[in-house]
Amino acid sequence: MRAGWLALGVAAVVFIAAGLSRISFNVDILKLLPTHLPQVEGLSLFLKKFAQPRELVVTLEGDSAENVEACADEIAKILAAEPQLVSRAVARPPWEKSPADLAELLAYLLLNQPPPQIAELTARLTPENAPATVQATLEKLNDSVSPQEIAMRSYDPYDLAAPLLSSGLMSGGQQSEFSSADGKFRVLYIESAQAFRSYKDTIAWLREVRAKIGDIPVRHGCRLGFTGEPAFVADISASTEWDMKSSGFVTLLVIALIFWLCYRRARPLFDLQVMLVLIFTLTLATAGLFLEQLTVIGVGCAAIMIGLSVDYGYFVFQRAQQHAGTVRELQRLCLQNIVWTSSTTATAFFALNLSSLPGLAQLGNLVGIGVVIGAIVMLTVFAPLTMRFHRRGEMREPSPVEKFVVTPGFFRIGAWFTVAVIVLLLGTLAIKGLPGVDFSARSLRPRVSEAYTALDRLSERLTDERDLLSLVVRGQDETEVRERLTRAEAALAAAKESGDVRGFRTALPIWPDVANQKANLATLAALAPEIPRLKQTMQTAGFNDEAFALTESVLKQWAAWAGRPPPIWPDNESSRWIFRRAAHRGDGQLLAMGMVQPVPGREDALAAAVEGEGVYLVSWSRLGLQLKHVIPREFIQVILGLSAAVLIILGIAFRSARAVGLFAVTTLLVLACLAGAMSLFGMQWNFFDLAAVLLLLGTGTDYSILLLLALRRNGGDAPAAQRELALVIVLCCSSAAAGFGTISWANNLGLASLGQTCALGLVIDALISLFLLPRAWAWLHRPKVLPA
Amino acid sequence: MLRVLPLAALLFTAAALPAAEFDFAPVKKWIAKQDDFRAVSADFTQTRSLRALKSPLAQTGRLWFKAPNHFRWELGRPAKTIVLRKGDTIYMIQPGKKRAERSAASATPDKPSPMQAFGMMSMPFARDFADFQRQFETLAISTDGPRCHLEVLPRTPTAKKYLSALKLDFNTQTGHLLAFEMATRDGSALRNEFSNVEVNPKLPAAIFDFDFTGYEVVDAKN
Repeated sequence: MRAGWLALGVAAVVFIAAGLSRISFNVDILKLLPTHLPQVEGLSLFLKKFAQPRELVVTLEGDSAENVEACADEIAKILAAEPQLVSRAVARPPWEKSPADLAELLAYLLLNQPPPQIAELTARLTPENAPATVQATLEKLNDSVSPQEIAMRSYDPYDLAAPLLSSGLMSGGQQSEFSSADGKFRVLYIESAQAFRSYKDTIAWLREVRAKIGDIPVRHGCRLGFTGEPAFVADISASTEWDMKSSGFVTLLVIALIFWLCYRRARPLFDLQVMLVLIFTLTLATAGLFLEQLTVIGVGCAAIMIGLSVDYGYFVFQRAQQHAGTVRELQRLCLQNIVWTSSTTATAFFALNLSSLPGLAQLGNLVGIGVVIGAIVMLTVFAPLTMRFHRRGEMREPSPVEKFVVTPGFFRIGAWFTVAVIVLLLGTLAIKGLPGVDFSARSLRPRVSEAYTALDRLSERLTDERDLLSLVVRGQDETEVRERLTRAEAALAAAKESGDVRGFRTALPIWPDVANQKANLATLAALAPEIPRLKQTMQTAGFNDEAFALTESVLKQWAAWAGRPPPIWPDNESSRWIFRRAAHRGDGQLLAMGMVQPVPGREDALAAAVEGEGVYLVSWSRLGLQLKHVIPREFIQVILGLSAAVLIILGIAFRSARAVGLFAVTTLLVLACLAGAMSLFGMQWNFFDLAAVLLLLGTGTDYSILLLLALRRNGGDAPAAQRELALVIVLCCSSAAAGFGTISWANNLGLASLGQTCALGLVIDALISLFLLPRAWAWLHRPKVLPA
Repeated sequence: MLRVLPLAALLFTAAALPAAEFDFAPVKKWIAKQDDFRAVSADFTQTRSLRALKSPLAQTGRLWFKAPNHFRWELGRPAKTIVLRKGDTIYMIQPGKKRAERSAASATPDKPSPMQAFGMMSMPFARDFADFQRQFETLAISTDGPRCHLEVLPRTPTAKKYLSALKLDFNTQTGHLLAFEMATRDGSALRNEFSNVEVNPKLPAAIFDFDFTGYEVVDAKN
């Protein structure tokens, strides 16, 4: 027997170690949302492929452009000297360091041009035309009043860039992704030397980067901000870990306090706490082994799970107090109640899988697993422990709380108090109406996040993309993406004509044109042998050698590509930098990006015109609108389905239409009061509150079920049923409300809102179930007075 | 992202410049004198010393200015390029191509005014000495008789990125501008030498007008 327990213990330790070692967090809030929605799909593609997982974005702001620039340069220099920490620290565009890099990009862009334009270009370079071409450039250098034209033509005597003039590629801009126009806001891009294996790696790396930066910003009078993927991971993971630990710990503490107040017993309290930690650990290990990465919502399960599992512990302990038989008899006595309540609770939580919100589904799975494990642990491990005290004669006099909760006064005051609460909440509902609705993406964001703050500031000062739509185009190869980009650009141009779009920019001008590349490459590569002649012609006209550097590099680049089959992509450092947020290759697909500035209110019409297969026009605000349409409808379906399932289960359990009807009325009254309470406290419905309704159906209904079962056991004696269960329900409600309540300060706003709504709902449910339901049962089952 | 090619040509390191105390008296006097100029006409010779060329390019032209904001600048004789300011709009006219580009005259933090971009001096150069100090960092001042040589650098980050200095020569007694040079960081320079300067002449309104009939007028891309 002892060997059996030992083997079981070792297996549990191995299971827990294996499971916990596999736990990882995913901070991508899109993981919480239905992946079948086009907005979620498009935004996921955008964030996954164009957000750089190893790139920290450091924002610097100060009162003087010179100081901010000096600060950025110093930080970049300090970090660049730490190759084990940082692979790249970029404070300026790479082509500022090596302008010659841009020859590759120019060669590539020309290679993509239509063959007739390339024919014109090559015609300008023939021995007959080259002198006139150079002479025309000299005249333009003398006549032009455009600094850009002078700058470009000085280093392009054969006017190679002419085909690009109409494409907008040659236009300059003062603002860049590195600096605001006034220079007082700058951005540094810092790439980690190593890929991050876990969020702890990310947090440690970020801490080290901060240490290296030290007091540089203070010395330059600058303010620093950190954003980008590593900053988000560190920010959200750290706060999530803290939320989970603190809410779990506080819940345990509150449970201990309640237990002590009620029973004033140290040993059972200790055992109960050990059981809760065991349940939590086993559940987390199970999640680590069988579920994917935990989302921020999933980890909110800790407190909820503890708050729910302890219910079974209280029930077992309370029954053990009055039990004189064996452990097996106690287990049998508790089995029916625990099976019915845990099955409805677990069903409710597992039913969250019917929702298309993966975050909620994960929360449901975690808590569902936790509830099942909790029921098993309390019945198999805790029940024998409680009987041990009984056998040792350690039972004692009831505590003042135990005595108080069985007095008629408690039930009378409780009933009046409950009626007053119901009147207040239903009155509020009648006067103020249903609570407001907020289906924006706000509820998915953390309450406090340095990374979000820095990103918002970056949007304000550098690239205000908050009202922009991101165009994401996906395809299997370059040609497919180009076709889709071309169609999207045509639709956008038409939308601009019709007034639905203020402006747009897509990756089309820099996207490879495979057909043109095939047609042009041989012609352009054949120009390389002409380099000496072209150089001589240019020198004769009055240009320096320096003026030929760009032309020579471009001609040599074409020759270098001659043996390579199209599609050809530029791949030096400057080109990679330019393309990194415009094009993505890999994972068997290609993606292109664009930005669209819509006319407010015309987004839907625009999307209808532009979106098609593999073409997404996405933004957080459009995502919110789409969710607003889809999620409530879906939740209503899930709630109706779950309600039907619960009613069927209870129909089988009670075999009484009146009992099931009473249960249904109680639940409806609880939901109406909850709506009133939310109106009273100015709370708004969001996605997570819809889930809260679902959770209340699973957890809060336990109280009604327990009461209805107790009423049957006691032959309809309402006071007896109340006395039997008052303490259990007070304990369960306090613990579950504490569990949900502790996540109301979670950093994730949606999770916090879920906690508040559930805690409120549970308290209302407990009040109505304990104080009014038995009276309603007694009234319904009152003896009929026969006429004399 | 896509707008890098023309800018790359201008990227060169700045020379470190020592801070110094200057005698601003001639500058203050010159700025004060500018209030007297309600109109100006002058001939000029523009010399472009481009780093990519073995020898400078020279071109003559003529300019007219009338307070507060009328301006015409003709480059070449006959004019190959005309820059004309009408109210808040500046036109860059190419008579040979029958084409004109239109842009806003006012500068913003992220966009210098076309006047600055074209390498032409704004008139007036500064409203007063305080305005001068707010706009420019002084690099050098030297005098040779009535001729004063002033070198400044605009304080805006954009201008600093591309310019190494603005150089002005003026007569401290008459207040006439003698030469204006824009030196860029790539070692190129664009210098205007003024001659036949007439102060407060009676300028016909037609000088500051232009008949665009038959012209293609487009908005400048930047």
